[in-house]
Amino acid sequence: MNLSIDSETQKRIDGVRKLGESQIRPVGLEADRLGRPTPADHPFFDLLLEIGMGRSRWVGEEPAEDSDTAGPRVGNSRNMLCISEEMSYWDRGVAVSFPGPGLGEPPLISMGTADQKARFLGPFLEPDRPRWGSFAMTEPGAGSDVAAIASSARKDGGDWILNGAKSFAANASRADWIVVWATVDPSLGREGHRAFVVERGTPGLGDFVVERKMGLKAYESTSFTLRDCRVPGANLIGGEEHYARRAGFKGAMRSFNATRPLVAIMAVGIGRAALDEALAFARENNLLGDARIRDRLERIRRRLRVARLLCWRAAWLADHGRPNIVEASMSKAVAPNVALEAASLGMELLGEVGGRGDHLIEKLFRDVKAMDIVEGTGQVQRIVMARHLVQLPRD
Amino acid sequence: MIDFELGDELELVRETARDFAEDHLRPALRDHEAAQSVGDSTLDAFRNIGFETLEWPETLGGSQLGALARCVVSEELAAGDAGAALAIDPLGPALYPLLEFGGIETLRELGAPLLHAPGSRAWLVWNGEGTRNRIERSAAGVTGTIAWVPASRVDLLVFLDEEGGFAVSEGIEHAPLRGSGLRAAGASELTLVKAPVRAEWSDASGAATALARCRLVIAALLVGVMRESAEYSRRYALDRVAFGKPIAHHQALSFLIADMASSVDCARLLVWEAAWRLEAGEDAHEACATAFVEAAEQAMFVTPNGVQILGGHGFMQDYPVEKFMREARALSLMLGGVDAAREAAGRELVSTLGRVALNVEAIG
Repeated sequence: MNLSIDSETQKRIDGVRKLGESQIRPVGLEADRLGRPTPADHPFFDLLLEIGMGRSRWVGEEPAEDSDTAGPRVGNSRNMLCISEEMSYWDRGVAVSFPGPGLGEPPLISMGTADQKARFLGPFLEPDRPRWGSFAMTEPGAGSDVAAIASSARKDGGDWILNGAKSFAANASRADWIVVWATVDPSLGREGHRAFVVERGTPGLGDFVVERKMGLKAYESTSFTLRDCRVPGANLIGGEEHYARRAGFKGAMRSFNATRPLVAIMAVGIGRAALDEALAFARENNLLGDARIRDRLERIRRRLRVARLLCWRAAWLADHGRPNIVEASMSKAVAPNVALEAASLGMELLGEVGGRGDHLIEKLFRDVKAMDIVEGTGQVQRIVMARHLVQLPRD
Repeated sequence: MIDFELGDELELVRETARDFAEDHLRPALRDHEAAQSVGDSTLDAFRNIGFETLEWPETLGGSQLGALARCVVSEELAAGDAGAALAIDPLGPALYPLLEFGGIETLRELGAPLLHAPGSRAWLVWNGEGTRNRIERSAAGVTGTIAWVPASRVDLLVFLDEEGGFAVSEGIEHAPLRGSGLRAAGASELTLVKAPVRAEWSDASGAATALARCRLVIAALLVGVMRESAEYSRRYALDRVAFGKPIAHHQALSFLIADMASSVDCARLLVWEAAWRLEAGEDAHEACATAFVEAAEQAMFVTPNGVQILGGHGFMQDYPVEKFMREARALSLMLGGVDAAREAAGRELVSTLGRVALNVEAIG
């Protein structure tokens, strides 16, 4: 057992911290004050590119087949968690605005053909300018219930014709391409889903609306429509063979999940920022002599520590390929509420100062609410847990 | 690298403790409660697997395992029967002040004799901030009343406060009590009239460590109690049908059951983290206090809901869930209670300048 952060990861955290103090937080506060996403031509993004960010995780070549002698590969999402938490500590919204292939990258890496990886991730290896990829699953009528997406994909010769509306896609209006999920047959549920890379400027892709949000203003959450949008067959991720192959595994569910703890730990980062700010404010205002306030701050630190351990444990299980569905959902069900409580307590300690609307804690209070909604709401996480704990039926 | 693996040795220890609890404690939990005793055969069985001296130094014949082993064992035993878990452990939390203040020699002198007289019990009384007992010391000895100890006999009484402690082994009068929870361990009011002090120590740092380790053991026991409450009520909810389906499949209950499972894991993770800090030689006083508060709070969420899920049956003593609720409450009254631990952790927190580190940063 080892429940400490190793020194190499700590060095990387310290690097994020420097960038966070000098850049990420100020850029986030600026976006929040101006009530708009950080523009694509903001010098901050050029700076990120200069220091080596905004790249793809894809290394530009296919990994060799694992030989039997290599043993089981142990993943490293625990370190990613630590970095991600620190990033969110400084500004969750800015972290989403970072250039790079974004959420479109995982499906391209896991399902994409070699040609698709080269075409769509290649430009992110040594990007000539800040570039973004985007990912669009959510629709006005389908959030947590992803099986209910209604955007349609119809085969037409060698092409596909997409129709539908997508909501809240991060960085979509500035992206080189968007990974769009659509269905070939709504009656098939997830079996009917297909992922397409829709490139910027494709006729029929349009009506981009940058939504106005409660918080996390630094990145754009964009809605758009697809009207008879013609996409070449080569942009169906994985090609048709991939989906034919997958159909053979109907009903097979993955036994582990690495994404939920990664999103849950972002809440921990926001919550930690709120705790540190609240503690500093309370000290400056001589509030710490009050046992009631100490008790509540103690609770926040304790619950944040718990939330972090839940995330770490879920990631540790995933890294070893062990079943972690309950643990992953648990981390995601717990952490966002803890973080909200931290920010809300911070507001209470601020008193009327919180009412002004210009304090960092007030921003965190607005930012953090999203964390209990994205990547499966807290309610969906409990449903997932209940399916495992008490075999809650799906109907 | 972050790693939650217990390792083969601890997994074996855990399995042994689990088997013992399932064979000897859980089947007899109402009998032990009624008798306010676990009986000689259970004591013998426990002694035979060597858990009496789990943390004792090897020079005294112990296994010299650490805090994590203790926590793992305590959880398993308490999942069987928390009262019995106290009854079968002769030294109980009194082990820690003896070790911290006096080391091996003190343990040999004061603790070892209890092992040779089966059924003997030591108990630790918190005598610092938060205690409701009034204990007076004079040149003539120790005088006062201790409202409740979960024991029907006490052969060695160790008092601990913020500055140090002292031990008494004579002049202890017992008045039996019914007890609220933990009855399998017995229940007594103790009265001391000018009881002679057998040993005393002045060592604030040792006292803080002893208290931390005591809190951690109680927290681990709480994890066991709430785990069993959550598990028992989960199984019941799958069997019990109401409104045409198992009650576990009504979403109000399925969410509650999910949250109860989270509570158990939350408390256990903080217990393990504090135990790991102790073993890594890190400062763990705050972490142990924090684990105690979390375990107490979560146990008081889980165990009353365990009763709730069983409804009317839960309130009846035909089912064990009401017992889990009483035991969770009784355990968290110890060592000055939850508020004292919260205060300790809170004071440590507000003395932090700059960023709050949630976990130990950068080892290795």
